[in-house]
Amino acid sequence: MDDGVDGRDTPAEVDATFRTLRRVAVGYFVVFLVAIVGFPLLAITLDWWSASRLVGGMSPGFLMAAFGLYAFFALIGIAAASLSSAVEARMLGGPGPSGDALDDADAAP
Amino acid sequence: MRGGSQPLAVALAAVWAVVYLVTQVLVHPPLGMLATLAIGVVLSTAVVLGYPSALRGPRVSRLGSPRPPDPRGVRSGLAIADAGRSMPLRSGLTPDAARRTAELIRPLLGGDAIAITDTVQVLAFVGHGADHHRVGGALQTKVSRKAIDKGRTVVVHGRDDIGCPEPGCPLQTAVVAPLAIGERVVGALKVYRVHDEPAPRVLVEDMASMLSLHLELAEMDRERHLAADARLDALRAQINPHFLFNVLNTIASKARTDPEEARQLLLRLSDFFRYAVRQDGHFAEFAQEYFFVRTYLSLEQARYGDRLRVRYDIDPQVLTTRVPVLTIQPLVENAVKHGIADKVSGGTIRLRARVDPLTRTTSIRVSDDGVGMPPEVLARLTAGERPGGAEERDRHGGVGLWNISQRLSTLFGERYSLDVESDPGHGTTVDLRIPLR
Repeated sequence: MDDGVDGRDTPAEVDATFRTLRRVAVGYFVVFLVAIVGFPLLAITLDWWSASRLVGGMSPGFLMAAFGLYAFFALIGIAAASLSSAVEARMLGGPGPSGDALDDADAAP
Repeated sequence: MRGGSQPLAVALAAVWAVVYLVTQVLVHPPLGMLATLAIGVVLSTAVVLGYPSALRGPRVSRLGSPRPPDPRGVRSGLAIADAGRSMPLRSGLTPDAARRTAELIRPLLGGDAIAITDTVQVLAFVGHGADHHRVGGALQTKVSRKAIDKGRTVVVHGRDDIGCPEPGCPLQTAVVAPLAIGERVVGALKVYRVHDEPAPRVLVEDMASMLSLHLELAEMDRERHLAADARLDALRAQINPHFLFNVLNTIASKARTDPEEARQLLLRLSDFFRYAVRQDGHFAEFAQEYFFVRTYLSLEQARYGDRLRVRYDIDPQVLTTRVPVLTIQPLVENAVKHGIADKVSGGTIRLRARVDPLTRTTSIRVSDDGVGMPPEVLARLTAGERPGGAEERDRHGGVGLWNISQRLSTLFGERYSLDVESDPGHGTTVDLRIPLR
């Protein structure tokens, strides 16, 4: 038996959190997909994407493939992970930071 | 500009700056204008839609309003209209506001010294003679007492008539105009000069009238906030004692058969009351209100069992928005008490929360598939009438809805909507739309 004072989450709350997290995942997947599909589309439809020179004689397409996509993947991964954990923290368990502060105030002499 | 829009505007400006740099300045040859605009529009749309998704971390308390700008930096040639707009007395007749007001209006009135008093003491004194006309001291001059007692402007031409007990006081003339809230004199504006010609009486009276208007507005603000606080307190006090009895009975019945669940219910009950009585201010993060609602519903579910089903549909973007406290739970309570409780087979309560980033509104919908309400009751509720008898209040929960409506009106003015739709036998839907904060 759990001796702590943590409350249990009801099935409805867990279900709601799951659906919200699924919405986050789908949203970020759509962003990911748009970026991945957009890359070859730009190469096909926009000559400027491959023919112009941006920095060090490299084209925007080359720079994007060499550096930009990795930065984008890292950014989107971090954003999705932090948003998901923030959603979980806010939708399950206690009232969050301010509630903890109230508990601390109660504990003070 | 509202606090929430400013970072968005900065982000949009940064997006367009980067697009311009990358497509026009740093690259050779530059991208065509149409393609550049298309990229900018696509990225701007992405930023606008994605902005509320970025959870903005723990919020600091926003109880205090931003401090008004320091009037000491205002130039002497400031127009009276500008002074009126930034008048510190708008926050009430306090020593700090009086000092800043005196500093602000001194160049406008052409006085060598300006004093603002209440009916008892000097709140601010700026200029010649400040060494002995002490702030916080009792009214020294007879002329102030005369203006306050009679409620009209007094002009004094001689040093003796001012009645300052200090022998070396340089002040020679004074114009003293009363400051009033309605008919009640609450203080005085005094303009002194060190030479024989007093400040223009009409100018001082006009300024006193303007200050009085600001004091009146401050008083109205204070009364409005007091009314909003009272409504919030009333809502807190309205937590139904029957609810407490029912939950305690449920806990008592489970104490023997399922002690662990009884313990969980006690913890939830403790959380419920702690949240209800400890919320300061009028706004809270939606996640906290959501916690309050699910705590309430879990307690009711322990009582109603399978008859009460719950479905939450929460947008991730809405979790960090700020909503008026104790607004959603009364709507859910109404759905339980007046929708589901009276239906033998029970029903489902749905809480749906969304953010619309383009219109910058938060939308909250509480719906149930319970018994609904008769059209005449719905008509009375939507007309904004306060329910009359105790029986009607108890049967339809109109006071809770009326109270919420009044509080929202105080907080948002016309910028909110609270719609109730009900189909007898099929349930009720309450739709709330408030500005995104």
